[in-house]
Parts: sequence; C-alpha cells; structure tokens
Amino acid sequence: MSFLLRRLGFYFTAFLIAISFNFLLPRMMPGDPIDALFAAAQGKMDPAQMDAVREMYGFMDGSIFEQYIAYIQSVFTLDLGPSVLMFPIDVTTVVGMSLPWTMFLALGSLIVSLILGVTIGTYASYRREGFFGQFVPPLLAFISNFPYIVTALLLFYFFGLQLEILPLAYTYDPSIDPGFTMEFIGSVAKHAVLPMGSMILVGIATWVFNMRNAMINVLGEDYVTMAEAKGLSSFRVMYRYAGRNAILPVATAIAMAIGFSFAGSIMTEVVFNYQGLGNILLKGIMARDYPLIQAILLILVSAVLTANFVADLLYVWLDPRISK
Amino acid sequence: MFGLTLEFLNKVIDMNKSTTMAADTPVRSRKKEFQLKCHSVWMKTKAFFHGNPPAIIGVSLITIIILGALFAPVLSSHNPEKRVARPHEAPSTEHVLGSTRNGRDVYSQVLHGARKSLTVALFAGIIAMTIAIAVGVTSGYLGGKVDEWMNFITNVFLVFPQLPLLIVLAAFLGQVGSMVITVLLGVTSWPWGARVIRSQTMAIRNKEFIISAEAMGESKIRIILVEILPNLISIVFGGFLGTVIYAMGAEAGLGILGLGDATEVSWGSMLYWAQVSSSLYTGAWWEMLVPAAALALTGGALALINMSIDQVSNPKLKTGPHMKLWHKLNRETMKRRGLL
Repeated sequence: MSFLLRRLGFYFTAFLIAISFNFLLPRMMPGDPIDALFAAAQGKMDPAQMDAVREMYGFMDGSIFEQYIAYIQSVFTLDLGPSVLMFPIDVTTVVGMSLPWTMFLALGSLIVSLILGVTIGTYASYRREGFFGQFVPPLLAFISNFPYIVTALLLFYFFGLQLEILPLAYTYDPSIDPGFTMEFIGSVAKHAVLPMGSMILVGIATWVFNMRNAMINVLGEDYVTMAEAKGLSSFRVMYRYAGRNAILPVATAIAMAIGFSFAGSIMTEVVFNYQGLGNILLKGIMARDYPLIQAILLILVSAVLTANFVADLLYVWLDPRISK
Repeated sequence: MFGLTLEFLNKVIDMNKSTTMAADTPVRSRKKEFQLKCHSVWMKTKAFFHGNPPAIIGVSLITIIILGALFAPVLSSHNPEKRVARPHEAPSTEHVLGSTRNGRDVYSQVLHGARKSLTVALFAGIIAMTIAIAVGVTSGYLGGKVDEWMNFITNVFLVFPQLPLLIVLAAFLGQVGSMVITVLLGVTSWPWGARVIRSQTMAIRNKEFIISAEAMGESKIRIILVEILPNLISIVFGGFLGTVIYAMGAEAGLGILGLGDATEVSWGSMLYWAQVSSSLYTGAWWEMLVPAAALALTGGALALINMSIDQVSNPKLKTGPHMKLWHKLNRETMKRRGLL
C-alpha cells in the first residue's frame, strides 16, 4: 500500500510540474500571447475589450504568484477559457470530445502490441536457433523502427489508397448514428484498423526484444531444466514456467511505452485524419489557438500519468513483493 | 588487518613500478604493441560481422546513406532548391525520382535532405547522451541525496509524453529552424538513457576495481571518467543509436505538422510539402514515398546495428549459425553418450 501511495504522490508532483510548465510557457515567450492572438484585430478592439480577453485566459493584473494560484484553480475546476478555433465552445469541451478516441487508439494499440510482442518474444527466445528465432526478431527490429509517421503513411498509401479496402479518414462513418449498435461498433473497428495497425507495427519490437532478452536469462535457470526434465509440454514450459518470471522486467518498460504510444497516436491521427487529440492539436497549431494547445498538453500529461498509475497497479499484482 | 594493508600498499608500489617500466620500454616494441592493438581491433570487427547478417545489412545500408549525404553536391543532378521541372513529373531519366509539386527534383532533394535530417538526429543524440551520461553516472555513483533528486527529475521527465511536449514548445516558438529543433530534441530525450546508465553504474559501483581506485585516492572525476565510463560504452552507444532513430522520426513528424522550417531542405520538410500538395491523392506517390522510404531505411538500418551491439555486450542474446552449430554438436554428443 505504501508503494502505491508513494507512486500517487509522485504522479501528483509530476502533474503540478506539468501545470507550472504550462503556466510559464506563454509567459516566457517574447510578447503577449493575447496580443499575438488578436494581432489582426489590433486597433479595432478597444483596450477594455483586450483586457477582458486577457482576464478570460488568466492573464490578469497582479503578481505572477497570484496569477499562478488562479491558474491552478482554473485547472482543477476545468475552466480553461473558450477555444479560439471554435470560439464559443470551451477548451475543455473540445478536448473532452476527442480524448476518448486518442485513449482508444493509444491504449488499444499498446495492449495489443504488448500481448502480441510478449508471445512472439517468448517463442523467439525458445526457438532461438531455429528459423523463427533467427529471422523474425531482426525483421521486426527493422520494420518497427520506421518513424511513426512513415509507417502510417506507407499503410495509408498501400491499404487505403491503392487497395481501397479500408477507410482513410474519420473515426466512424458519419452517416451512422453513434450508439451501441453492431453497425456503429463495426464501423469504428473498421476505421481503427489502419491507424491502430500502424501503431502496433511500431510498438511491437520493444516487447519482442524485452521479452526475448528477459526469457534468455530465465531459460538458463535450473527450474526450467527441471520442468523440461519432467516432460512438460514446451508450451507449458515456455508460457507457464519461464514466461511468468521473464515478464517482470518487461512490465517495467510499460511506463515508458505509454508516453510513446500517446505520442504515436498524435502522429497517426494526423495522417489518417482520425478525430482524436492529434487532429485537434494540428488544427490548434494552425489557428494559433494557444489555450487549446495547452489544454491538450495538460490532458495528455494527465492521461499518461493515470495510465502509468494503472501500470503500477498491474506491477503490484504481478510481483506482490514490491508493495512490502 | 595491518598485514593486509601492507600487502595492498606493496601491490600499489609494484603497480607503479610496472607503469614506470612501461614508460621506459623502447620505441620499437611500442610500435609492435600498436600493431597488435590494430590487429585485435580488426579481429573484433571481423567477429562482430561474422555470421551476423543483420549487422552486415545494417552497416552497409547506413554506409550508403551516409556516403549519399556526404557527397550530395556531387551525386545530385539538380539544384534541390530551384525549380527545374514541371510540377509532379513522373520518374524519368532526366528526373530519376520525379519532381515535386513545386518542380523540385526529388532525387537531389532526398540527397540534400539527408544532410539536414542526419545532422539534426546526430547532434540531438549527442546532446541527449551527454546529459544522460552526466545525470546517470553522477546519480548512480554518488548516491544519497544527489541521487534521490536526480532520479526524481529523471522520472518526471520520463513520464511526460516527450513528443507532445516538443510539439507544444515548437508551436509556441513558431516555425523553428533545424538548430532549435536539434536542441529541443536533445534536451527532451535524455531520461531513458539516464535511467539505464544510472542502474548500470549502480551495478558496477561496488565492484573491486572501483573500490581499489577509491582506496588509491583517485579523484571522483577520474573514477567516473576512467574507471566507470569505459564499462558503459555499449549501453551509451545503444542509447545513442536509439535516440538518433527517435530524433530522426520526431524531426520528420514536426516537419509534416508544419512546425519545422519549410524553406530548409530536409526529409521532414519534403514530407510537409508532399502533404500540402496532397501528392498521394493526385497519384504523385514519389514526392511522399521517397523521403518516407529514406527515413524508413535509415531507421531500420540503425535498429539492426543497435540489435547487433546488444549481442556483443550480452553474448547470451546471440542467435545465428554458430548457435545452430552448438546445438547440433550438443545433440551429437548426447547421442554418443546414449542420453538421447
């Protein structure tokens, strides 16, 4: 329990640091972001209006410390002001609409590539001298290290444009009403195949190699030889005996992978025009919608931190020794 | 206890003697020593590539790419920044890889772009690994309060999603040049390396050779630089290659988002212009897929090298013909002994 509390404390501190960074970012940049935002309207807006806008985004009078307190308050009350891009709508609403899709892409692809990668890695270590063990890991290393954007573009071109078997844009067919119908779920699945597939391709090698390297260390242990000597099937030895212990060092890599997965999701969404945070982020950047950009960074940080905490829970479940 | 100390001191004196003797040895034998050293380096290189197709493929690919980048002005057929063809000309003998929407020669652009992209990735890797070594080794070797704080900072940076952070920073700075991107990439991608280096430093921190160096009164800086760092080379190099792969991808990603300097010729900016002209939809696949393929090949080749280096630092991970041979011989012996 104390382990989890300590982790929780750490994530909270990390979140506070992220908020502070977000607070300082526009204030460190040369010039006033609000001036930059309304540069075109300069002179047409009277100073009172400009001040009102400033206050709306938290750039009010007062010391930097007072501003900081106000900013933290606004973060925890989810009141980050309206978006510039989609004016009257609140930033938090815009982000809230697209966050589930990004979570779905990032975590879905992470889980699938984790399961696939661990299975392949285990088998590759067990059949190390055979064709599988010699050929598959280098091939995966090669393919998986294409940059996210490149893998996405290649799949986009070959499966979407050339073969025309999978849809190229949006999260689901706009003509279908969202709801828990088979049609809707099918459409979502179909639209997720390419973006998720490209992310799985990029993510999988990490797990294959982590698992393979951990397995090779475990396979030398006496208890594995003992299990083989007892005449257990190689499947049982691989997954129930050696795999169980080899997975512990692999689980520690999950924390790192979560951040990467979200980053990959941002890139992939841009290529596939998937209606997640990445897409909104791109639009926000083009429209210089700084409040929106900051809110996206903040929500991504909190999503990653939460996912990390879940990974910690998983780790405690896998290795109960750690919580003592 | 006293006896032990005396023995230790004697050993130290002996060591000093032997070093002074080495300094007095004639020049000829030094030359021979050098030759021997060269020979052993050559043998090691041969052993690295022997029976290791991934290493051979990776190194040859990367050599070709680096040569292409180095000799770009000689190899390219046109000025990459000038309009030399009609928009979206298909590959032909005049324009080997076709032309872009703006009439630039894709082949010349991809060669020149390699220079910018590889430089950004390389220097980002150097910056990141320098920070990683500084933080990781200091924190792992000194321990205590310093370690606690540095480890905390590393962990905070580690859980932050780096690429979104980078995107936001670049967005606030406006369209940034490759210099700024290099620095941003360098200072945001060190934590993983620092963590690995720290744990490895902690693992060798209490080995005898470090303790004896401490007993001999070597300064902390000397212990870190001379005793610890050489033992971390394979990890540092592995981390360096990983960072280079990541930085290259991130540069391309920032490019396609329109956050890089689109007037510079790099693989990222090539992707950006291809995206802007929606070249894939209009059938001009070469504008998009050529830089994409260049990025893919470079990333893949570096990964193969990285994998081979892992096998050198941890021979247990080796696969390949010699493993097969070993298993075959093992089975034959077992059969001879009647065990199988």
